[in-house]
Amino acid sequence: MIHLENVTKVYPTQKRPALDGVSIDVDKGEFVFLVGPSGSGKSTFLRLVLKEEKPTKGRVHVAGKDLARLSNWKVPHLRRRIGCVFQDFRLLPNKNVFENVAFALEVIGKPRRFIRKVVPEVVELVGLEGKATRMPGELSGGEQQRVAIARAFVNRPQILLADEPTGNIDPATSIGIMKVLDRINRTGTTVVMATHDAAIVDSMRKRVIELEEGQVVRDQTRGVYGQAY
Amino acid sequence: MRAQFVLSEIWIGLRRNLTMTIAVITTVAISLALFGAGLLINQQVTEMRRTWDSQISLTIYLCTDNSPSAVCEENGAATEADREAIQADLDQMSEVASVEYVTAAEAYADFQQRFSNQEALVEATQEGDIPDNFRVKLATPDDYEAVQSAVEGRPGIDTISNDQGVLDRFFGLLDGLKWAALTVAMVQLVAAALLIGNTIRLSAYSRRRETGIMRLVGASNFYIQLPFLLEGAISGLIGGIFASGFIFATKYFLLDRIQSWFQFNVTLGLGSVFYVIGVSIILGVLLCTIASFLTLRRYLRV
Repeated sequence: MIHLENVTKVYPTQKRPALDGVSIDVDKGEFVFLVGPSGSGKSTFLRLVLKEEKPTKGRVHVAGKDLARLSNWKVPHLRRRIGCVFQDFRLLPNKNVFENVAFALEVIGKPRRFIRKVVPEVVELVGLEGKATRMPGELSGGEQQRVAIARAFVNRPQILLADEPTGNIDPATSIGIMKVLDRINRTGTTVVMATHDAAIVDSMRKRVIELEEGQVVRDQTRGVYGQAY
Repeated sequence: MRAQFVLSEIWIGLRRNLTMTIAVITTVAISLALFGAGLLINQQVTEMRRTWDSQISLTIYLCTDNSPSAVCEENGAATEADREAIQADLDQMSEVASVEYVTAAEAYADFQQRFSNQEALVEATQEGDIPDNFRVKLATPDDYEAVQSAVEGRPGIDTISNDQGVLDRFFGLLDGLKWAALTVAMVQLVAAALLIGNTIRLSAYSRRRETGIMRLVGASNFYIQLPFLLEGAISGLIGGIFASGFIFATKYFLLDRIQSWFQFNVTLGLGSVFYVIGVSIILGVLLCTIASFLTLRRYLRV
């Protein structure tokens, strides 16, 4: 599903590569934790998958597509197959829960009937039934992140990228978020989650890829966060 | 494509930067108004030239006993022989379409009739003040100078007048007006384009959260940019509509009024006005859309 081959990424303003000869394979339906200290290359990895950045060297394949050969105008179609969740939720404060989730479908031109049918299902899947008309400001951090997850998942992407989704949330609420992500993973969606949260990684017992200074230092199925840091 | 979604985005964008939107519309309106006025004057001049050029004629005045010019003093009043020789020569010229001999009496009658509403002028003029003359209609009005120089200075000919000189000065004035309007219009159009760019940039900035999410969930570039492009286009359209009022005013209060001073009334038809308005509005919409597009390319990168 995600395939990196000897990928090096050097940002123009920096000498040290953000990723340095990284090869990673993530299969369909996997749940992968991406761990490592800040600046180890986790975010760069996610940006490469979204084709927000181009690798300096090496190849990136996502969902069977060679991103180097994907023309710019097809990038939106790639992104429709990838859902994204961030630490800061990125909800629209002037839209309610339903509208925030529906927004993702509206802007890719889905018909209204379809939106009315699908959005409530996803809102329920993330555990927000009965809160569809709440505004983001009226929700707790954990609930806001659930809205963000619903929005990322509403178009049934093949891949869900989560960049420290529990970074702004207390540990108790984080467990709920992880349950939602796990539920999504069980529908066959590949989930890649970058995180600093050792407790979560240890409790989930999923595949762990550890990056350090742009290199893969560990790739363990059913791993733990580790002592490296 | 969800029309309602796009429309609401445009409305939000226009309302959020209301002051900028007003500035844009004003600038666009002024520049298009001047541009349209320039075009209109241009059409008026072209139209007048065509009418007047086809009407251009020479009037050859013959010497009388008291003509002051040197040729007349030397040769005395035009004789019957002079008159026939001149007529024969004019008839031979290929540039000449027709020659009409007008006696002093006929010229006076014509004068009385033409200025019948200006009594003082008619009373001050006597028969004989306008000498016998030839009215020469030209087959090719451009060649009036050749005809004029061919007969000028011949015995019996006092002066030759043509209306080209007066018209050239008048057209010079209108041309000046036209270029002034077009120059100011160009400067204003550049200002309008920069203002549009700025407005769209503000608009894109204030909606960066929305556009960021749209990008993320895979909205096409077209879909992301469309509200901004339409926002520009609508500003251009509104500016153009205001400008068309000014263009109408230019026609009815400036050009038509000028025409009433002239013998041949060459007023532009409504067709020309609508043509000018159409061109102006299209220019406004295109300019605003292109300016928005160029701005977006820099500020809404994929």
